[in-house]
Amino acid sequence: MTDDKDVLRDVWFGRIPTCFTLYQDEITEREAEPYYGKDSSVSFNVVSSLPSMMLYTLEWNRILLLLPRVSYLTLVTDKVKKHFQKVMRQEDISEIWFEYEGTPLKWHYPIGLLFDLLASSSALPWNITVHFKSFPEKDLLHCPSKDAIEAHFMSCMKEADALKHKSQVINEMQKKDHKQLWMGLQNDRFDQFWAINRKLMEYPAEENGFRYIPFRIYQTTTERPFIQKLFRPVAADGQLHTLGDLLKEVCPSAIDPEDGEKKNQVMIHGIEPMLETPLQWLSEHLSYPDNFLHISIIPQPTD
Amino acid sequence: MAEEPQSVLQLPTSIAAGGEGLTDVSPETTTPEPPSSAAVSPGTEEPAGDTKKKIDILLKAVGVTPIMKTKKWAVERTRTIQGLIDFIKKFLKLVASEQLFIYVNQSFAPSPDQEVGTLYECFGSDGKLVLHYCKSQAWG
Repeated sequence: MTDDKDVLRDVWFGRIPTCFTLYQDEITEREAEPYYGKDSSVSFNVVSSLPSMMLYTLEWNRILLLLPRVSYLTLVTDKVKKHFQKVMRQEDISEIWFEYEGTPLKWHYPIGLLFDLLASSSALPWNITVHFKSFPEKDLLHCPSKDAIEAHFMSCMKEADALKHKSQVINEMQKKDHKQLWMGLQNDRFDQFWAINRKLMEYPAEENGFRYIPFRIYQTTTERPFIQKLFRPVAADGQLHTLGDLLKEVCPSAIDPEDGEKKNQVMIHGIEPMLETPLQWLSEHLSYPDNFLHISIIPQPTD
Repeated sequence: MAEEPQSVLQLPTSIAAGGEGLTDVSPETTTPEPPSSAAVSPGTEEPAGDTKKKIDILLKAVGVTPIMKTKKWAVERTRTIQGLIDFIKKFLKLVASEQLFIYVNQSFAPSPDQEVGTLYECFGSDGKLVLHYCKSQAWG
């Protein structure tokens, strides 16, 4: 269906306007002298002209960037790193890390998930603070290289396929197919990625869906990092399970009472799908590139 | 990742049960079935029917990696993969700089902050989670 393919594109090309500001205490050089211009007025310099990644330098310690929802922080912030490193002393620079309102941001979570979970009820742009010192060992994994991001991404894909197809589809692929999935994500190439990924969205003709649905449900109100369990897309009687069915089974507190006030938002890619949506359809169309449905349960914002 | 002291990991299940020999485990198939919720492994203290706070893990060495003398462990659900890696490295007397990789289903390496309880829920079979460990990358 043409409409369904549009959904895939909309998900892939989702962007979040983000403002990166260098942490005050880490500014060690050029404090009195703005990096651009003689006075401290805001100047918009277009540093890069890639259509999907416009980078505006507002001031020397602040950058505005459109972040892809489906990617990872350390994969798309090279320009942020390079820009800020210019205004710091070499010896003060160690591994970059990001924080939002005091919460260190896990680079190995997709950007869209982090935003939906932590910042979706606040006004845009998303204000992220950039650090180069005091890496929070207890909260964040290190990201030593792009290879680490690739390894993490591929592992997630393999875990998803273990659930969907007992790993049969991903194991049958050649190494170059795996590479194409990664390169497609890294270079923001929808067609390149989906040429291979579509195979991971197929299922045997005699079935009505995947074996189990790869999903993770996140809440800021609980101690556990996320909920992930075995859940079939089709019931014994052949009925398709819905998003509501999943929540009722694995996270009943997320479902609001029928006649009560709406307390929670169930959010994927910044939208609230209807709870009647078949889970199999969601898995095929609203998964992240790692083939997982990353679902945020957040308090209903009070306007 | 913040990890508790290694003493949190319990005694090997075989010792707790009073026996010395480990149950010989037949090679795991790569098609896990959902774990039976009533399964109780030998050596755990929780009665059948309660949600077990600990899950059983079977560790298998890959390639030239040294083999753990004790392979079967009862582990808290909230223990992370990184915590398990640190424990195995200490047990095998590996240097801190040496790498250790852990694999599920002989196919993917879970994130270091992944909880073993979640992996057990999704990939456990016959009441335990089988994990392969290796000093080098075995399955990419």
